[in-house]
Amino acid sequence: MKLNTATRALLFAAAGLGICICVAHAADTRKETRIDIAPGGTVNIVNGGGSITLHSGAGHQLLVTYTVHSAKVEVDQSTSDNKQRVELLTHALPGEKPTADEAKVDYDVTVPAGVSVNVSSTSAPITAEGIGSEIGLSSETGQITIHNIAKSHVNVRSMTAPVSLRDVTMSRVDIQSAGGAVQLANVNGQRVTVGTTSGNIEYQGDCSGGGSYILTTHSGAIDVTLPATASVDLAARSTTGTVENAFPLQQKPHTSFVPQQGRSFAGTSNSGSSSVELQSFSGKIRVKKQ
Amino acid sequence: MNCQQFQETLPYIIESGGGGEDESHLQECESCAALVQDLRYIAEQAKLLLPMHDPNPRVWNNIEQSLQREGLLPEGRMPLLGHTQKNSTSQTQAKSWTPLGWALALTAVIVFAVVLTNYKPTPLQQTALSAQNSATDSPQFNSDDQQLISQVSRQSPEAQRAYEASLRDVNAYIADAEQAAKSDPSDASAQALLQDAYEQKEMVYQMATARSLP
Repeated sequence: MKLNTATRALLFAAAGLGICICVAHAADTRKETRIDIAPGGTVNIVNGGGSITLHSGAGHQLLVTYTVHSAKVEVDQSTSDNKQRVELLTHALPGEKPTADEAKVDYDVTVPAGVSVNVSSTSAPITAEGIGSEIGLSSETGQITIHNIAKSHVNVRSMTAPVSLRDVTMSRVDIQSAGGAVQLANVNGQRVTVGTTSGNIEYQGDCSGGGSYILTTHSGAIDVTLPATASVDLAARSTTGTVENAFPLQQKPHTSFVPQQGRSFAGTSNSGSSSVELQSFSGKIRVKKQ
Repeated sequence: MNCQQFQETLPYIIESGGGGEDESHLQECESCAALVQDLRYIAEQAKLLLPMHDPNPRVWNNIEQSLQREGLLPEGRMPLLGHTQKNSTSQTQAKSWTPLGWALALTAVIVFAVVLTNYKPTPLQQTALSAQNSATDSPQFNSDDQQLISQVSRQSPEAQRAYEASLRDVNAYIADAEQAAKSDPSDASAQALLQDAYEQKEMVYQMATARSLP
């Protein structure tokens, strides 16, 4: 059979494309592994770029799936003798200097109930869903998202990474963020503390559970939206910023400070079961009714 | 020097140019720099109004002749406001001070004087004032900060910028919180702010340390 020039060109192009696809897939290495971990154990994950997704699962094993995008990096995994601690560490191979894209590794980890998780990343977004134990997440710039968590202890550290928590109930929450905005929706528990330097803080929920809610910022804004049913003992103070209240509060006979028009206010709603403290240096504080 | 102190010395600055401290504040504060620029402009324009020149008498002659040709002006010229002499002489071609010029110059000088004497410096929003004072009064980075930034910059220029911005913000937070705590040592909330500010800085250092580990 004799092929004309156009057909030959098409065949060469198809072959070239096939080779390119093969090379690209060869660079992406996906691995799946199951790692035994003792009940109450801890898994520590260190990953610079890429992504990290955490789910809850049953059993006594971690199910770890990760995709490496270049041959210049690898994932080290190690387990302590008593299986109380598992480490997953992304690192460059000796002598290699991977680019930011080459250094990316995408993790998907299923965590058994009762196992604590610590994740440290620079730019990788971190998502945690349904984890029912202690979670410590830290990222410089990668978005941190946590949702559908109950009876947990959530500890978040962010430099400029935005932080979002949704449906985190009956938990102890501690968030520190220098410049990242923090959004909390339906978050409640015994103690919820958020501190930022310049990041805005937004809280939507009922502050239920009779807990202590402390939101502090230097120059960011604090916006709190409460339903009429919220039972709070609320105090808001700003050193040089302004405060606005559009939520019906009953004045307290005694406060720890003298309320100052436009700078501070305090009051209770319903039985005032939860304590809510909002404090800023120069950031604006607003409390609204849902 | 803050904006309020600077604005109290405005008349002296406009008159004499101000001292070194004023100059350094002007370089740091955009709003004060813009204000001084406006006032200097008014002063310059006021000076320009003083030496008014009459146009050459030939101009008036030509206008008069044109108007007469078109029948818009009867014979015998009407005296025009600000026009002193019809005849072209060496004396009239020299600088002259017309009543209009005098009036404008006088008005400008009076307006300028009134503006300067009645000028009340607008108190800046306390937030802005605080931010300005924080930025100028507190050192941006101490030696530890500089070392940290240098270490991060070797790893990633993007991260360097993020760390610089975070440290700058955190240092401003610490400076403000320290000032608030000093001004009222019994204020528990000021102490809490200070503690929070230091925790923020500790966090930034911990992150930098973690990224530096092999």
